[in-house]
Amino acid sequence: MANIEIDAPGTSQLFIGNEAIARGALEAGIGFAAAYPGTPSSEILGSLAQIAKKMNIYAEWSINEKVAMEAAAGASYAGIRSLAAMKQNGINVVSDFLANLVMSGTGKGGLVLVSCDDPSAISSSNEQDTRPIAKWLDIPLVEPGDFQEAKDMTKWLFDLAEELGTLCMLRSVTRIAHARGNVKLGELPNKQQKAYFEQIHDLKNVMPTRYIPIPSPVRHLFLHAKMDKALEKFESSLFNRYIGPDRADLLIITCGSCWLYSQDAIEALKLRDRVGILKLGTLWPLPEKFVMEHLNKSDKVLFVEEIDPFLERSVMELGGSFPPKAIRPTFYGKRSGHINAYGELNPDMVIKAVSTILGLTYKARDADYGKKAEAVAKSNVPERSMTFCAGCPHRATFWSIKNALKLDGHDGVVTGDIGCYSMALGPAGFFQVRTMHCMGAGVGVANGLGKLGQFGFNQPVLAVVGDSTFYHATIPALINGIYNQSNFILIILDNSATAMTGFQPHPGTGMTAMGEPTKVISMEALCRSLGARVEVCDPFDLNNTTAILLEMMAEGGGAKVAIMRRQCELVRAKKEKPPYKVRVDAERCIGEACGCDRLCTRIFLCPGLIWDKKTGKSKVDEVICNGCGVCVDVCPQGAIIKEAA
Amino acid sequence: MAAESKGCKGLFDEVIDAGLCTLCGACTGRCPYLAYYQGRIALLDNCTRIDEAQCYDYCPRTHIDMNAISQKIFGVQYSDGEIGNTKEVLIARSTDANITEKAQYGGVVTTLLSLALDEGFIEGAILTKTSDGKTPSPFLAQAVNDILQCAGSSYMACPVLERYNQIPEDNSDKLGIVAMPCQVLAVAKMKANPPANRASIDNIRLVIGLFCTWALSPQNFYQFLKENLDLSEVKKFDIPPPPANRFDIFTASSKTSFPLEKIRKFTMPTCAYCLDMTSEFADISVGSVEDIEGWNTVIVRTKIGAELMEMAKKKGKLQIDKLPSASLAHLKEASLLKKKRALNEIIKRSGDRNNLIYVGLSTKLAEKILE
Amino acid sequence: MTKKQLMKDPLNLVITGVGGQGNVMISLIIGNAFVRDGYIVTVGETYGASQRGGPVMSHMRISKETQYSPFIPDGCADIILGMEPVETLRMLGRYGNPRVITIINPRPIYSIDVTGGHAEYPDLDKLVEIVKELSAQTWIINATEEAQKMGSPMFANAILIGALIGSGVLPLDKKSVEPVLRETFPKEIEANLVAFNKGIKFVKS
Repeated sequence: MANIEIDAPGTSQLFIGNEAIARGALEAGIGFAAAYPGTPSSEILGSLAQIAKKMNIYAEWSINEKVAMEAAAGASYAGIRSLAAMKQNGINVVSDFLANLVMSGTGKGGLVLVSCDDPSAISSSNEQDTRPIAKWLDIPLVEPGDFQEAKDMTKWLFDLAEELGTLCMLRSVTRIAHARGNVKLGELPNKQQKAYFEQIHDLKNVMPTRYIPIPSPVRHLFLHAKMDKALEKFESSLFNRYIGPDRADLLIITCGSCWLYSQDAIEALKLRDRVGILKLGTLWPLPEKFVMEHLNKSDKVLFVEEIDPFLERSVMELGGSFPPKAIRPTFYGKRSGHINAYGELNPDMVIKAVSTILGLTYKARDADYGKKAEAVAKSNVPERSMTFCAGCPHRATFWSIKNALKLDGHDGVVTGDIGCYSMALGPAGFFQVRTMHCMGAGVGVANGLGKLGQFGFNQPVLAVVGDSTFYHATIPALINGIYNQSNFILIILDNSATAMTGFQPHPGTGMTAMGEPTKVISMEALCRSLGARVEVCDPFDLNNTTAILLEMMAEGGGAKVAIMRRQCELVRAKKEKPPYKVRVDAERCIGEACGCDRLCTRIFLCPGLIWDKKTGKSKVDEVICNGCGVCVDVCPQGAIIKEAA
Repeated sequence: MAAESKGCKGLFDEVIDAGLCTLCGACTGRCPYLAYYQGRIALLDNCTRIDEAQCYDYCPRTHIDMNAISQKIFGVQYSDGEIGNTKEVLIARSTDANITEKAQYGGVVTTLLSLALDEGFIEGAILTKTSDGKTPSPFLAQAVNDILQCAGSSYMACPVLERYNQIPEDNSDKLGIVAMPCQVLAVAKMKANPPANRASIDNIRLVIGLFCTWALSPQNFYQFLKENLDLSEVKKFDIPPPPANRFDIFTASSKTSFPLEKIRKFTMPTCAYCLDMTSEFADISVGSVEDIEGWNTVIVRTKIGAELMEMAKKKGKLQIDKLPSASLAHLKEASLLKKKRALNEIIKRSGDRNNLIYVGLSTKLAEKILE
Repeated sequence: MTKKQLMKDPLNLVITGVGGQGNVMISLIIGNAFVRDGYIVTVGETYGASQRGGPVMSHMRISKETQYSPFIPDGCADIILGMEPVETLRMLGRYGNPRVITIINPRPIYSIDVTGGHAEYPDLDKLVEIVKELSAQTWIINATEEAQKMGSPMFANAILIGALIGSGVLPLDKKSVEPVLRETFPKEIEANLVAFNKGIKFVKS
């Protein structure tokens, strides 16, 4: 991660959007930041945590998004500027608190919520637009259109949040959050904030009048007044702007990364003097007057935005405000089918929409070349499915789960969760996982399945969760299972890191976000204190792991816990040399012959092992192999040899 | 008729899912896709071998050309006698009290194995060992004491051949094996057509076959035992010869008996389709003797079998006698009855007198048995 | 000597490979070197889940004028730096054009689809021929092989950066890149500088 704290105002840095947001928060004088890791949001807190001590701020990886937001609100109440960051799913986790927080209002310290959406769900279980929550809950909402804005807007949003006394939200998307671009730095503040929770003490001992959502109707009225004030600010915000001719053949209304795509498209089509772009940075409340002023620029309007038709619907709601005889423009966008209402967009999609509307043809490259290049790529480029890294403990765990379920023979069901191990839906984990929803849902689903004995259900139920997910969202579900005696095994894949999002620490690691040692919240001690039988396995010991799972399945009777403990290979590899040098003894390898049928390369599928077609033998790819040695125990011929490295 | 190999899928379609699996273990132990676990053969992953696979080839419930195998083992066509190819039919008992005390009947199997091991005739023996929890599992005995620990029967099927399959390819130890008729069949199939990527089948120098009318399913019977007895106390199981008609379970101090009818429902379904009571392709077959307690019936079938018996006699390890003719007649009658019943069941299943499912017998011989 | 100019504005550079090879690191080093030289740079990366053994690409847009989007439009790559051969072809299929310049590391990384027998990895010589045919100019740099000789396949990144700089297709020289390398690899800087200079040498020979 970049050094976001460098004190060099006026210089340009190459920042990802998340670093720009973190820098903006620093420039705004933030004192407190909390988050739960989630792609594409993680680097906001990550980059703040890395410099927190140096900059005398506080940053934490909270146990989940709700706690992160609540903690940030606490800091706001004590007058500290604070921020909570999360991915789209986190917004769902935190929404109950948000619905109350907007009523109660924030404290003297400005409070900002950053939500990073993941269009196309590139690193998510679901695709979800979080902008509507701003409309639903009355939260001022902004969205940066590039990296500079990501910084500048964040900084500005703290001022706004403080002035309004309400939570303000910044929405970002993957292609801002995780793309890099130039950011010109501003000044860093040098004043130290003082935290104090102000209370009213008088003889009548009155109920607090702040920081509570009641009386709700009155609070709601106050909130609307805050939103009116936000609207006033938004109408004149410089984050909203128009580029293009006074009168345009087409007006594009856009926001976020789509602003960049729209500019690319107009540039590619060479339509700068024919097409105008109205770029909105403040999305809710919609700056109606500003939008209305520009709507008459063209009789054709195209909405370019990702996921939901948020701007499209909001602008169309303005229809009622049109003067009676005004000519209404034709609206194009998701409703007309010119822009997808799912998945992420890109310049080519905008090029296509604009060309269709204006009846233009567009050719990026020589047609013959294009046909040929596409054809040879199609016929020669093999699929490249995602898989666990070479040496990943999850592969070993799912190998044992698969074998245990097959040996048990009762068609056991594995419910899944969110993390690298979600890949066990596919070949990486031998297709073992059957359900996947949100954080913690697998254990919840297992709770239900595990209570179906009275309906003749006798399939074993295994719920897999990562270590970080365990702390985040599964503890209530586990308690429920133990208390209600649901018959399932919770398998915690403890690789000692929040691996999927970049190895952030969690309560089981004994390390804080700021690198300070802290108490380890032992997952086994916690589970045992709830009365669960707990077994700790080394997933690399395939036989023992399989045997323990079989034995736990046979035992039945209430929720149990099996912890698969092995450090994430990527973390290990950063610290140490590989434990083994692994090679295939070609003499012993029988390849496709009966008795093997290429088990290691066809089924086990560690990318460190490859199939040499010419010799008909397996081979270790030295560039990929991390020397874990698990395949040695998978090979039925003893043809894979490990030697201490 | 040449047997057609059908791979792992064929094995499941025709044998395992069809309820014909004997749990002999011929398909497990080496193949990474098939595994024996608690009375079942589990398929751990998809194997792509659909037209050629050893699991199918060596299964005692896939096609067996009886003549070809008989040629391989005895050098003659499959015998039309009731108890297969024989050199001699004897009765015998061990002269060692330590053995007879633990053994099922006359202690012949334990004695012969111990002798073979002592004399360097074999260097190990693949046996069935009953665990403290009273579940049988295959065991490679390499010392006389190990052999003694395996004496006695649990009457439950056990994947003995799995242990052979697990022996490293480059191991050349000479071995003996004690096997049920179905397992002896599998060994015979292997001898007729040696397996690849395993220790040489020729290392198995001595096959001692046991008499068997049926075996109990480990899955169901074990469950029954667990529900009815404290298994840790059990010392021995026994089915006394007819007409006792009961299943005895001994502890150190007591005996519990169940009517055989109650036990019979736990037999392996595949046993109804088995023609072989006396392990016809073994070197020596051993069983009980009707009416003569404390002795074994011994059928000597091969040269190796005869040599070993001779040695046991010479060294005074066994007391040997002729099988009384009445007992021999009973034995033949029982054996033929098993063949008849099985053939009838097979024909009932196939619905065609000319389709004997796995049994590669000439129509003439089949008709003769069914007479 | 006057500073070289961008051969096109924006200059569209695709860096491609397989998750874990070091795509992001290369784009970061090149990007930082450009920003220090006063350019406006946008880098789009595949991140997150596709990091685990999947195809990865970085799109770099380099301009003197404006901030471009993190996506190169289809058919509009000017330079493709391919750390893995089929991934290079994947990129040519989508972003290639008759003017594209390609630098390719011909060391295959087999996908689990190929290893598992569900997909075919093309013949390497044929693959390199196709890449050459689809490119106006092609440099073949045995970066992984050379890096392994140096003791770790990770030095392939510095070799490829060297090749990219040595090829002269970017208006960057050693002096712009070296300080960024020093900051990126504070511990193994000597070996990485050796690798970097090897890359420059390979592309020139």
